[in-house]
Amino acid sequence: MNYFVKGNPDLCIGCRTCMIGCVVAHEGAKIFQMKPGEYVFNPKLDIVKTATITIPVQCKHCENPACMNACPVGAIEVIDNAVVVSQNKCIGCKTCMIACPYGAIDMVVSSDGSKQLDGNSRMVANKCDLCTGIEGGPACVRVCPTASLKLVTEEAVETSVSNKRMAAAISLTQVKE
Amino acid sequence: MSMGIPEIENAKLLFIFGYNGADSHPIVARRIIKAKQKGAKLIVVDPRITESARIADMHLQLKGGSNMALVQAIGNVIINEGLADQKFIEDHTNGYEEYKEFVKKYTPEYAEPICHVPAEQIREAARAYAKAETSMILYGMGVCQFAQAVDVVKGLASLALLTGNFGGPNMGIGPVRGQNNVQGACDMGALPNCYSGYQSVTDDAVREKFEKAWGVKLSNKVGIPLTHVPHRVLEEKDEKKKIHAYYIFGEDPAQSDPDLNEIRETLDKLDFVIMQDIFMNKTGLHADVILPSTAWGEHDGIYSACDRGFARIRKAIEPKGDVKTDWEIISLISTAMGYPMHYNNTQEIWDEMRSLTPSFHGATYEKLEALGSIQWPCRDESMEDKGTPYLFTGGKFSHPDGRGKFFATEWRPPCEVESPEYPYSLSTVREVGHYSVRTMTGNCRALANLEDEPGWIQMSPEDCDKLNVKEGELIRVFSRRGSLMTRVLPTERVKPGATYMTYQWWVGACNELTTPYLDPVSNTPESKYCAINLEKINDQAWAEQCIKDSYESIRKNMGIDTAKKEV
Repeated sequence: MNYFVKGNPDLCIGCRTCMIGCVVAHEGAKIFQMKPGEYVFNPKLDIVKTATITIPVQCKHCENPACMNACPVGAIEVIDNAVVVSQNKCIGCKTCMIACPYGAIDMVVSSDGSKQLDGNSRMVANKCDLCTGIEGGPACVRVCPTASLKLVTEEAVETSVSNKRMAAAISLTQVKE
Repeated sequence: MSMGIPEIENAKLLFIFGYNGADSHPIVARRIIKAKQKGAKLIVVDPRITESARIADMHLQLKGGSNMALVQAIGNVIINEGLADQKFIEDHTNGYEEYKEFVKKYTPEYAEPICHVPAEQIREAARAYAKAETSMILYGMGVCQFAQAVDVVKGLASLALLTGNFGGPNMGIGPVRGQNNVQGACDMGALPNCYSGYQSVTDDAVREKFEKAWGVKLSNKVGIPLTHVPHRVLEEKDEKKKIHAYYIFGEDPAQSDPDLNEIRETLDKLDFVIMQDIFMNKTGLHADVILPSTAWGEHDGIYSACDRGFARIRKAIEPKGDVKTDWEIISLISTAMGYPMHYNNTQEIWDEMRSLTPSFHGATYEKLEALGSIQWPCRDESMEDKGTPYLFTGGKFSHPDGRGKFFATEWRPPCEVESPEYPYSLSTVREVGHYSVRTMTGNCRALANLEDEPGWIQMSPEDCDKLNVKEGELIRVFSRRGSLMTRVLPTERVKPGATYMTYQWWVGACNELTTPYLDPVSNTPESKYCAINLEKINDQAWAEQCIKDSYESIRKNMGIDTAKKEV
């Protein structure tokens, strides 16, 4: 099963530390060393606020990902329980962005500074990769000051389902016919 | 604060009044969330749906500027429904009968049309507040930045007196103060009326003590409040009373004070302005001399949290370039002006201050090292005196007779209200990420990447439809005092007719619009209310260019980047 990061709107205060944590995790220290305007700032999650909800929205890492199925060049694959875009293969066709039912993909200037044939900066698909290959796991989960974000793994789901079944079984014994 | 910040987590009910923790102090907001997780009831009084309001059990979405009416209506319900703590009132307070008589008129039905909060909701909030085992009030600038501010603070304290919510843990009343170390500035006597530890400048014994310690004659008159400076510069006829020079440090009045037009005129009219800060700011543009000082990570000292807690701050890195710490600069200036002043380190300054301040006397560096933090009063140097987590233990108050005093007065509307010409209200607020006047955070790239000039105006979707404006569009905002352009942010979290802007932006500086009216006691300006109008801009491309040019020109005037480019 693919993993995903789940937010709890009862705990989120909308501080956007997760967004900065995300960029720093993916871009590294270079964003603090390069000149402003010469580095890209592309958080892979976005805080959404309505009258009653505040929570970051990011990729659900679907089991049957619409983005992956739609990609014409095979730039999206499942790596280590995460749906990941290979930005070097991406041709910027935006099909995945349209296909994603969660709005979890946007198009950004590639952070490696590479250029297209016409000399413009390359535009590529940008989405959560669960910090694949980054030590310590998803940065958003690590930096959240209210612990409102959790990485949901297969094991966590199994425990949760098993606990709920246990509770359901106990509640059944309390129902008298 | 009468309590300590950690106690927030253990209150049974939090009554949050005009305080938006998530944007002002995320770390305090975390305590509010923990309290809720531990089962505390949350009542939030705020004209906007703040993050705390969103998760509250009850949100009283009052109309801005109606605080006093709501507070007294709650007092009215508590008395009328027999929920007052009669024993606490008899044993520990004065003025209850007068209070009771005064708030008689403030029934929930009387308050409803003023506050735009249903009478029944006021009743429910009053019952919950009075019945909870321990109720804690947290308030912020939504109380203090009105021309009727001190009255509301006393009104809120009266609710705590009425219900016996003083003198024990996890209760009381807490102003969650706006700025970093503003508590410390007040504690150290950076106020016109007191020395360190709130010792009055008009008290002869106190003055003589300081005169003896410092070997100089000191004035026995209260000084001039910060917000009276423009008047004393622009309108004072008596040359002797007029202010001629202004030494400003760690403050940017040309950004943070109301009615910026008047502030700029004041700064330009002064004979001499010194600005002492870590980066260039708007005030610096009007200064004759700029003294560069160290930033928070570059110096040692003591910091006071809003719950009276002293803590050490330590230098993390050596300062770079031609800068000095604030205390070194002050010592050099004082010496140059004929009063030799020399310290080797901050501990010497702290020890001198302690020796002259009985209520802080016990908070030694050694003890701070051992305990991490000490909340004043801490009078004794021995290790037994660990400070005071909460005030008024056992219901003993600071008045000479040891009793708490009730307070009630008539509600007054804000000084400038909506009119046909200016049909919207504007309140200045905070946003998480950018702190105060952005002297620090505007220079932090990741934060600037999230939000940058010219900033936003929060408006209801209804008002956006009415003006035919969309998210991100530039809009003209104007008041009787000034005008600016900013971006439209439609949000369901505000009511129609009310708008909100954060005050740190250089281009979209909302203090161009605000009023200079003050609370008569605290002299704090009414930053939370003024009347404005809004105008759609048809030529968006032109407007975008204006913003860009305006930002570039401010940066150029401040010498940012341009110096490097010209080399």
